[in-house]
Amino acid sequence: MPILNSVYRHREAGHVLTDVAAYREAGGFDALHTALGDMEPDDLLYVFHRSGLRGRGGAGFPMGRKASFLPKDAKLAKYVVCNADESEPGTFKDREIIQMNPFQLIEGIVLAGYAIGAERGYIYIRGEYEFQARILQAAIAAARDAGFLGTDIARSGFTFDITLYRGAGAYICGEETGLLESLEGKRGQPRLKPPFPAVAGLYSSPTLINNVETLSALPPIVTRGADWYAALGPEKSPGSKIFSVSGHVTRPGNYEIILGQTTLRELIFEHAGGVRDGRRVKAIWVGGSSVPVLGEQHLDTPLDYESLNAVGTFLGSGGCIVMDDSGCIVRSTLRLASFYKHESCGKCTPCREGTTWMERILQRIVDGEGRMEDLQLLESIFGRISGKVLCALAEGAVAPISSAIKLFREDFVAAIEQGGALRPEPMWPEAPAEAR
Amino acid sequence: MTADQIRAHIDPIRHEFAEPRSLVLPALKFAQTEKGHLTREDLEAVSAATGFSAAFVESVASFYDRLYLEPTGTRVVSVCVTLSCMLRGADEVWERLCDREGVSHHGGTTGDGRITIQEAQCLGYCDRAPCIQVDADETVGPMTPESAGQLVDDLRVAPAPDEFWR
Amino acid sequence: MADYAPVDATVDNLVTFELNGRTVSAPPGTMLVDAAYAAGVEVPIFCYEPRLGPPIGACRMCLVEIEGMRGLQTACNTPVAQDMVVTTNSPNVKDAHDGILELLLVQHPLDCPVCDKGGECPLQDRTFRFGPGKSRFVEPKRHWPKPLELSSRIALDRERCIRCFRCVRFSQEVAQDGQLTMQERGAASEITTFSGDAYEARFSGNIVDICPVGALTSIPYRFVARPWEVTNTPSVCGLCPVGCNTELTTREGDLKRVTGRDDPNYAVEEGWLCDKGRWGYDIIHSPTRLQAPVIREAAGDRTASLEDTLPAVAGLVAGRRVGILLGGGATLEEAGIALDLASGALAGAVVSRLGIPAGGLSALRARPSADLGEIDEADVVVVVGGDPAAQQPVVELRLRKARRFGATVIGAGPRPHALETLGEFTRSAPGALADAIGTFGAPVAAAANPVVLWDEADLAADPAAVDALDALLSGTPNARQIELGTDVNGAGLQALGISTDGVLAAIADHALDALVCVHADPLGAAGRTAWADALASFDGPVVALATHETATTARADIVLPAFTMWEQDGTIVSMTGRAQRLRPGAQGPDEAAAGWELLVALAHYLGAPPVYRTAAAAFAYTAARTPALAGLTADVIGTEGARIGTRPDVSDGSRGVAEGAGLELVATHDQFGDVQTADSHALRTAFQPPAVRVHPATAAAGGIEAGALVVLTSPIGRSERLPLIADDRVPEGVVLAPLGAPGAPVEGALAVDRHRIRVRMERG
Ligand SMILES: Cc1cc2nc3c(=O)[nH]c(=O)nc-3n(C[C@H](O)[C@H](O)[C@H](O)COP(=O)(O)O)c2cc1C
Ligand code: SF4
Ligand code: FES
Repeated sequence: MPILNSVYRHREAGHVLTDVAAYREAGGFDALHTALGDMEPDDLLYVFHRSGLRGRGGAGFPMGRKASFLPKDAKLAKYVVCNADESEPGTFKDREIIQMNPFQLIEGIVLAGYAIGAERGYIYIRGEYEFQARILQAAIAAARDAGFLGTDIARSGFTFDITLYRGAGAYICGEETGLLESLEGKRGQPRLKPPFPAVAGLYSSPTLINNVETLSALPPIVTRGADWYAALGPEKSPGSKIFSVSGHVTRPGNYEIILGQTTLRELIFEHAGGVRDGRRVKAIWVGGSSVPVLGEQHLDTPLDYESLNAVGTFLGSGGCIVMDDSGCIVRSTLRLASFYKHESCGKCTPCREGTTWMERILQRIVDGEGRMEDLQLLESIFGRISGKVLCALAEGAVAPISSAIKLFREDFVAAIEQGGALRPEPMWPEAPAEAR
Repeated sequence: MTADQIRAHIDPIRHEFAEPRSLVLPALKFAQTEKGHLTREDLEAVSAATGFSAAFVESVASFYDRLYLEPTGTRVVSVCVTLSCMLRGADEVWERLCDREGVSHHGGTTGDGRITIQEAQCLGYCDRAPCIQVDADETVGPMTPESAGQLVDDLRVAPAPDEFWR
Repeated sequence: MADYAPVDATVDNLVTFELNGRTVSAPPGTMLVDAAYAAGVEVPIFCYEPRLGPPIGACRMCLVEIEGMRGLQTACNTPVAQDMVVTTNSPNVKDAHDGILELLLVQHPLDCPVCDKGGECPLQDRTFRFGPGKSRFVEPKRHWPKPLELSSRIALDRERCIRCFRCVRFSQEVAQDGQLTMQERGAASEITTFSGDAYEARFSGNIVDICPVGALTSIPYRFVARPWEVTNTPSVCGLCPVGCNTELTTREGDLKRVTGRDDPNYAVEEGWLCDKGRWGYDIIHSPTRLQAPVIREAAGDRTASLEDTLPAVAGLVAGRRVGILLGGGATLEEAGIALDLASGALAGAVVSRLGIPAGGLSALRARPSADLGEIDEADVVVVVGGDPAAQQPVVELRLRKARRFGATVIGAGPRPHALETLGEFTRSAPGALADAIGTFGAPVAAAANPVVLWDEADLAADPAAVDALDALLSGTPNARQIELGTDVNGAGLQALGISTDGVLAAIADHALDALVCVHADPLGAAGRTAWADALASFDGPVVALATHETATTARADIVLPAFTMWEQDGTIVSMTGRAQRLRPGAQGPDEAAAGWELLVALAHYLGAPPVYRTAAAAFAYTAARTPALAGLTADVIGTEGARIGTRPDVSDGSRGVAEGAGLELVATHDQFGDVQTADSHALRTAFQPPAVRVHPATAAAGGIEAGALVVLTSPIGRSERLPLIADDRVPEGVVLAPLGAPGAPVEGALAVDRHRIRVRMERG
């Protein structure tokens, strides 16, 4: 098996690659030359497919399969949309790629565009990432100047360009159809599916939507080959994944691991430095905040889609939030409930009303006004939301709350019986705080 | 901002979108750079420049956290309060900052009109928790209640930016 | 019910599927909710409203189980499929319905006893049938100061809103006025206009009808009646020739509300009313309403009882040479009895109508015609002349819908109008429509399903255009036409063969001894100068049967107060040739009566009682004698209406050419700028004050600045003073002037037959 340094060239090179020359130096744009020079779009699609790459935005849908759903009709305008909304709590990996290695993302988008027959790609970036947006904007301009965007890219006859589109602060615009609505200049309220974006997406045209990390994985897949990628990690979860680790760990940050070959314990303790001395891990939201929470007993789970599903959670976006035993699960759960309530778009009833109601109940419990029947009430509200909503936001709201009540029921009972949940002392940064 | 100024901003990118409605959000964001929030006149100018009704434009603006339909302070300070930041002291930073600046724990604008303090949802800087963003500048952290106070003090004496990207 | 789309189960290739264990079929593409409803199974809904465009699946009320699909599905956006197995009554589904309702009620106040919607509220009904026993929500509910005035006619109770988006979609997609939107997000979302401005739009009231809760209510109806105290009567609107189907709500003999019907007429208005049709009924009680007969004598006016007045009228007309002049809104019954009188009790009477001569238009009218509903299926829609948004309001919604469905909309005409943004429109010089019509030949011929709308007044004034249009229609057999008519019952009066010629000429020839005007106001109508001249030297008695004071009732020797269209039985024929029935929703004034009853009574006093005693019998009697109405009875017309046959060829009027010199006068009519709207209290903020419009260059050439008052003088007469508006969409050399405005300011400059005319414009 080839030794992987990293799927992401800035990690492999060990430094930022924010100018074209440095990126080229690190092997950048080779994939573009290979694909545009020697490959038919369908061959490229097949490479994506064979690599087994799964979407890194949250849902983990196989990228190549999604791309193959787009109708082949050459007369239709098609679009690639890169989801750089990165708003999932605990997730900051796309930020790293954009900041340190924007050209790999651009190259990935062009490859995807060539494969599906698109002439334009959009990067939808969250409004709060204005700093990152400027880096991307400059990179797009530089790539265009260097002939990797625009007409007749690398003298292949292929024309493709990228538009950067800035959001304005709404988590729901990470949901793919909410994103499309926002990109069409509207309120970011998700659409009914079907039709799926692959059939009728941006401007009702066939549209491929993928996450930053997903698209950035395409260039090395092309240069090193689908087989190389597919051989990394387990059959159904190949490749590497960047996990953003945060919360009560001593070295918060992004860590790239090969799926299936690293356990949660290794991620937290070896990569992220573990929890403070004398503390134990209490709760882990491994795939961002929208997944069922895990406990200490799950630490030896390997990090891959299937293994995480087997313990009842999801790999999600890889935003791994760790709480040690100094934390309060009831308060943490309330905080997530508040997040979803704040971010619910308001379009569908169960989400709009359900997230509001759940937050109110949890707030009461935290404030010492909880009633024992509130736990059953919450459980019945989960059932009234789950499976009945328009998009996955509310499913993501239910998952951490329902799992917390299941896994840490005694903590909720205690909060109700003891008149509320005390605010714990937070983990303060060790180094003197300075704006880095 | 005038409709002509907005047109000058969006006309060069018009061709990048198959439908002109896509220009509404860029137009709103740009219109906001003048005052840091959007007035009735700004919304009417966006409506005129894009061709969509003022009511529609306003409904779009009101959907997004970072478009402001009420006046804000010269600088907007967003304190992330989502889980990762909370675990590392965001609530303490938030409350002490609010108390220090004399605004309620729901946030608000300081008496001198210089600073608006607001809660933010996950800013994508959980590795620097607890973190703070000023307007849409690069998010900073980790913060303590003291360093947050210092940051606001520094903002007070710093010149206002030429354009308000928030 | 409008909530569900009608399902046509008569087409071929039906899809068959299983619904709660039964086998059911529906055409492919039918949404499951509609197919189920047609099969007698109600899947509850809130956001779904088939008339608002594609389903949005927001409320999640319509969840059902479909075999083979994971979880529950929203039936509002799931089309039926062959062999699909659907369950709407399983415990799972029931629990889902229960759950959604509980969530909807979480924030909804339980103020049904004081809510106007109480008793006719879908949320209340569905909670009763599909909902939870009690709410487990113990937190305080949200509170807003209540209610908000969305406009002077619509109140918004924000706490009652369930965010179904119906009103917003109506404003954005159907009316496309762009004014109503959802603001904020999540639980804070609320319905509002731009910065809270008033929602002033011509179709705004429809949002009250479609709101499934009591969030949007009609201010004139607020706290006026409870559903169990009222009766609802299906009727039609008699304010314009479209003939929208309405429902009249009556409490204690008084009309309290006009709404679209629960069962809309998809061939006509599809359940949408314009605000004039919805709220204009308060002119029943306007100060100008005639309450009792007036007898004008040398000693002065006196009011009298009907009992005394009718014999007096009989005395005035008996044995005399009588002219009977019918207004464009006179019903078929009233006109039929007039004709009957003319062949019996008042033998030899001359009967004619006010309005545009039919002479040149018979050929067009005989071409295959369509109902408004058929515009939905058109791929090409052509608008020839006119200004449908202003003159036949609901047509606007049909054209917008056709455009939404992908139809190409094209047209030409002498006046700029609101619907020109829907497609390619060209401005034609007055009397020069023929050229533009020539260019429509190719697109119409290429279309599978073209519909051509043409304006009665513009075509009547342009014989060359009539020929061109007739050639276009005859050359494309699949093309159908819709007349944009002028008079409420113009088509009905034409069906009876009543000409516009006769009475005026007879008066001028001194061939008449008495004049009876039935809902006719010749002294306020186009060409009133000619009528005024004729009547100045007419010394016979003038009897005016009317609902409101007019210039003619002021001149009449006897005024007979009549019921309005909201107070009487009758039949009117819409501009598309649909006979529809008016039904009373209010008790008229004590000393007034339905026009047809007054005429029947007159016949009695003339000693020749007719054979009919009810409106229905009067209609049957008339229909039996009228080829175009063959086979029609009140029952056949029913609540849906029925199409009439080809109208007889009447060669009245002149196909006049332009007369005079100067600017060409192009008449306009704004339903919201006319005397009825001006008379309505509810519509006071909707009223458009009259003005004349010219191109800025035309104004400059005349040395007159915008805003100045001007007078138009034609060879026939002069207008009153009106303010001038400069509008660069008006062709140069043309002046647009409004008909029907209070005081009939422009009518005096026009010809009786509405032929083209030129005017001098001067500062007045
Ligand atoms: C509420 C919600 C928020 C989401 N936010 C993001 C996001 O910020 N970034 C992202 O890439 N995907 C996000 N997703 C997932 C997207 O809908 C979509 O699955 C993804 O962009 C597809 O790309 P991928 O296949 O490469 O993962 C979100 C989904 C939901 C339901
Ligand atoms: S006001 Fe009525 S129609 Fe409008 S969204 Fe609310 S409930 Fe629906
Ligand atoms: S009626 Fe189907 S979701 Fe509202």
